[in-house]
Amino acid sequence: MQTPPTCQSKAETTSASVAPKGKTLWRSVAEFEGTPEFAALVQREFPEGADTASHEERRQFIRVMGASFALAGLAITGCRRWPEQKIAPYASRPATRMPGQAVRYATCVEIDGVGTPILAKSLDGRPIKVDGNGSVAGATGGTSAGVQGTVLDLYDPDRLRVVLHEGHESSVPEFQAFAANEIGRLRGTQGAGLAFLLEPTASPSRVAMRQAIAKSFPKASMHEWTPRHGDAERAGTAAAFGSAKRPFLKLDEAKIVVAFDADVLMDGADAPRVTAAWASTRRVNGEGAAHQELSRLYSFESRLSVTGMNADERVAMRSSEIANVVAEFAKRLGVDGGDLNVRNALAGLGSGAKLDSHAEAVLAAAVKDVQAAKGKCAVVAGPAQPAAVHALVALVNERIGAAGRTVTYAPATGPSSCVDSIAALTAALNAGSIETLVICGANPAYDAPPELAFGDAMAKAKHVVRLAEKLDETGALTSCHWSIPAAHSLECWGDSVAADGTILLQQPLILPLIEPNAGGLSEIELLAMLADEKATTRAGYDVVREVHAKRVASSGSAFEASWRAALESGAMGSSYSTSAPTVNAGAVASMALSHKAATGQGIELVLFTDSKVLAGRWSNNAWLQELPDAVTKVTWDNTLNLAPATAKSMGVRHGSVVTVTVDGRSVDAAVFVLPGHAEGSASLALGYGRGAVAGRIADGAGCDSFSLREGGADLQAATFQPTGRTYPIANTQDKGIAEAIMPEVPLQGIQDRLPTLVREGTLEEYRLHPDFAKHRTHVVHRLSLWEESNLDGAQFRWAMSVDLNTCTGCSACVTACQSENNIPVVGKSMVLRGREMSWIRLDRYFKGSDPSSPVDYRIQPVACQHCENAPCEQVCPVAATVHDKDGLNVMVYNRCIGTRYCSNNCPYKVRRFNFFDYNAKRPEREEGFLKTDLGYYERYYTLNRDEGPDLFRQMQFNPDVTVRSRGVMEKCTFCTQRIQEAKIDFKNRWAQKGGEKAGTANFSIPDGAIVTACQQACPAGAIVFGDLNDANSQVAKLFSQGRSYQMLEELNTKTRLRYLAKVTNPALPREDDPHAGHDHSHDGHDHETHA
Amino acid sequence: MHNVAGPPPVSRFLFPRWTNLVLPLILIVGATAPIYMAFVVAYGLSPKTLDVGYQPTQPVPYSHALHVGELGLDCRYCHNTVESSPQASVPPTQTCMNCHTQIRKESLKLEPVRASYESGMPIEWTRVNKVGDYAYFDHSAHVNRGVSCVECHGRVDQMEVVQRAAPLSMGWCLECHRDPIDRIRPVSEVFNLGWDAAASLTDADRDALVRQYHLNPSENCSTCHR
Repeated sequence: MQTPPTCQSKAETTSASVAPKGKTLWRSVAEFEGTPEFAALVQREFPEGADTASHEERRQFIRVMGASFALAGLAITGCRRWPEQKIAPYASRPATRMPGQAVRYATCVEIDGVGTPILAKSLDGRPIKVDGNGSVAGATGGTSAGVQGTVLDLYDPDRLRVVLHEGHESSVPEFQAFAANEIGRLRGTQGAGLAFLLEPTASPSRVAMRQAIAKSFPKASMHEWTPRHGDAERAGTAAAFGSAKRPFLKLDEAKIVVAFDADVLMDGADAPRVTAAWASTRRVNGEGAAHQELSRLYSFESRLSVTGMNADERVAMRSSEIANVVAEFAKRLGVDGGDLNVRNALAGLGSGAKLDSHAEAVLAAAVKDVQAAKGKCAVVAGPAQPAAVHALVALVNERIGAAGRTVTYAPATGPSSCVDSIAALTAALNAGSIETLVICGANPAYDAPPELAFGDAMAKAKHVVRLAEKLDETGALTSCHWSIPAAHSLECWGDSVAADGTILLQQPLILPLIEPNAGGLSEIELLAMLADEKATTRAGYDVVREVHAKRVASSGSAFEASWRAALESGAMGSSYSTSAPTVNAGAVASMALSHKAATGQGIELVLFTDSKVLAGRWSNNAWLQELPDAVTKVTWDNTLNLAPATAKSMGVRHGSVVTVTVDGRSVDAAVFVLPGHAEGSASLALGYGRGAVAGRIADGAGCDSFSLREGGADLQAATFQPTGRTYPIANTQDKGIAEAIMPEVPLQGIQDRLPTLVREGTLEEYRLHPDFAKHRTHVVHRLSLWEESNLDGAQFRWAMSVDLNTCTGCSACVTACQSENNIPVVGKSMVLRGREMSWIRLDRYFKGSDPSSPVDYRIQPVACQHCENAPCEQVCPVAATVHDKDGLNVMVYNRCIGTRYCSNNCPYKVRRFNFFDYNAKRPEREEGFLKTDLGYYERYYTLNRDEGPDLFRQMQFNPDVTVRSRGVMEKCTFCTQRIQEAKIDFKNRWAQKGGEKAGTANFSIPDGAIVTACQQACPAGAIVFGDLNDANSQVAKLFSQGRSYQMLEELNTKTRLRYLAKVTNPALPREDDPHAGHDHSHDGHDHETHA
Repeated sequence: MHNVAGPPPVSRFLFPRWTNLVLPLILIVGATAPIYMAFVVAYGLSPKTLDVGYQPTQPVPYSHALHVGELGLDCRYCHNTVESSPQASVPPTQTCMNCHTQIRKESLKLEPVRASYESGMPIEWTRVNKVGDYAYFDHSAHVNRGVSCVECHGRVDQMEVVQRAAPLSMGWCLECHRDPIDRIRPVSEVFNLGWDAAASLTDADRDALVRQYHLNPSENCSTCHR
């Protein structure tokens, strides 16, 4: 490669004082160490095989092209009209329905027994998008990526669509006949020999039906199981309060948050609300003293979590050692209140705390902060921690004054221990005392503790009836006699309870996408059928209505009115209000005393719920599989995450395959070397390794960590044996990054530039210089090489602001964008070649001079920056990417001929190219030059290669966005379809009033009327979109803030997407801060124009 | 010696004189043929030739000429979402039956309508007017600002069987977006297909309308392509 002539600007844009001494921001250990592989990767703009063909292939290519031109000629001679299309109007259109206009329904989705209120968008009868319902009191409009993905689950091609009886297709009436007979028999025995395995739920109607079953069959045994059981939390809170509780966090009130192995910002159904509350304490806007305060987040954890990445102070330590630290923390806070038992317990447990100098300093700072915060603080423990820790944390929260203020408690759902419950069921099955087993939803053959061998035990029952959305591991067993298709939550009536106790209604948007007579039953309907003497069906609607009529004890028109109002708002009163009961300190002390400190010296294994597919619930969801993990950026797999030092001691590298063994059961997992991970610890996500039985998407993704989860515990003593094999890990971080524009720039050049891309300062610095972010780089040139677009006189100037201070990296925006904009899924093999299509990427950087223990972590969402002076537009030979008057950089798909020049010239690397017709036709060729192995792809998109694309999949597409074809470039549009919709709507209203004659010169769009998909999904409210021409708009105010900066401002691209620099609030001084020596004497330079 | 027999005088030219015309002819034909062909192909493939006049047979022989032209139904009686939605909407069977439960109850032509009304299954109409999948046309944006139905759909009130009146191609759309002044009328006359805009409006009227509705049709790609 030739070295480009060094231009003067490059030398000037990076001043010596900005340049760090070593590497400060980096994305992987490989980059930090400068391994040859990484150097090669960086030298190449695109990954291996992404853009090249060998000499032989080129010749072949020309032959193929010649043939296709000949074919094209033939096609022209046979010219024809558009294919004939049919219009099928309603026979009788509902009164308010307007074809082509979306309708939003307030409904809910329940995840792990906690309801999330959602607004589901239906277009011409098809649910196409799900968003949070922020109008429900206490809820946030933001969502998690998983909730965004639920709509794709509805159209999952692998759903069970027929009733199966012993492997043969059956029907609901046939099942009813069986049930009536069986129920008659069991009624005689009062249900002896009958067992139910259900999932814990908060849903009032599901609970009511379970009670009805218990009433019909008093001797039947009821069991509950979910892999995300939270048994330790239940046990700990039960000891502390007398009954099991679930903590409810109000972080908006907290100045100090201390998380012990808890991923509060990412884990659990309630995480978006917690994130929103936390973000409200992280927003600084420089106006007034109140807006110059930041909360501080401490995290003690083993694996690197999203909470850990966002923590101001983080300590990486083995999960098993955290209990001692919690005790030490409690001891130093003096929570014993003079109680000797508590004091002794804390002293005993706390003395085992292994604190190195950094951990000691962080703990001391946390203690000091908590004491100073006077109750405006919260302490949280994670699910992997033992019951003693949860009990201690409850005690600490009470004694520091947090209970009732930042932490309240809700009643826990489910049995006292899910693990005990399923163990009891297995024992009963093995003892032969259960003849009939009914399973609703749970998938114990996959996720139950492996030593129970639930599948074998199930074979001992005479009849097994299972209601499930998929024929998964449990359903595929021959001992599962009846498999009945379950309805998706967007297909049936139901209800749930939100984390704060608000009762939510669930209403269907569409009839079950299931064969007629094949069910599509909800759990409510199945249980209602079984509770009935003659096994007659009851509509879910009737059951839910009846339950709520009984609950509010009203009837007739009064109930009708409140029911209708609830269907419109999504919420119907409250089930409970959270409270802060008194902690029984003595019970906590005895629990702490009985806690056995970890003695294992080996490497411990941490099993955690995956942030994308949960514990397997969304394994077959292609959006979520392809979503890069928030921390590792890995797609399509779970990886064994190890600290660099641990990997070294094990003798393995990134991508090595290691056999992990727990008590004789072993699994092969690929190593991901993760800086910041605790040493002596390995973490592996649950929810993978499912095989073909779980569906074509889940097949082949990751390894089955459930087979290591003995006793359902998240912490395991495991042995690790390198196999010598390697495994390709498709992660999106090490490529496609800004330095690719100039691979000749040595790594030092990249290092110089990174701090100007991700700008940050401490709170002190921000208070002194609110515009510190403007001084991180020196913009010298304002001259353009070409004529700049003239945007004068535009009515709107759309722009977006992204706050790096509140963005946690949760990745909900990525899935929301995929859902809104019909972005294709490309599969692992394509991601490995760098062909992922996501319009938003979240760059993750490690910060610090030691690769094994980074000091900080930085996240930066990057989408099209909508440069006013867009480099992409200058190189397009066919003007397929141009500016519109409002300042949007628009991409005209039907003009694009696929030269990819624009992507090459884009300094932000945000353009995505459709290498194949991912959305419609079968993309791969079986032989020749174009031969591609898209294995998974065929499985996903084409049910049958002769039948064309998957019709179910097509139903999800947003008709307001063009579905792109092969050979077309695409990128973020700022949701141009939403902008147009709002523009037309507001202009219509203005015109209908008489236009100018009515007195207003032109129509206007109020600030906030246009919300982009990412903005809508963002739980933290980090993304703001609006019109810069409106000086009072939120985005205009944010652009004028001191923290606002442009990425690569020195290129004079004049971006319309600007970042708000991160303001950190560390408790301890950071060493090696690249900005420490940078004073503000260069102010004169910054805005100067060297014309 | 003059009589010495010799070979008869042979012309220097093998071809007769008229053949001199052939070469220039070949050149002229050769030069013009591609141009001619280009015109033929362009004409043959233009949306105007391909699409205008498209008149498929519909499942119900519904006559706009009768219902609109003679009986005077307003466009919006059936296409009732046209002012507030991107789509004008083909009416539901219910709309037909509002009248046809009383009128012509026995008509054979209405058999598919009655069947649909009873079964609840839609009547499958064949689509006549269509823009590309990558283009987004919004009816409400046009009819609310003085663009009449007739500008794109022609005199539907005179059509026995609906046919396509305009190519609906990008070039055709842009003609009006670049210079809308000749195609606008007061909003009150938008649904009056027979209204003679040329005779009824002066240039000053048109200017006033452009101001009143702030007509500045955009030529930006993002206006129609999303």
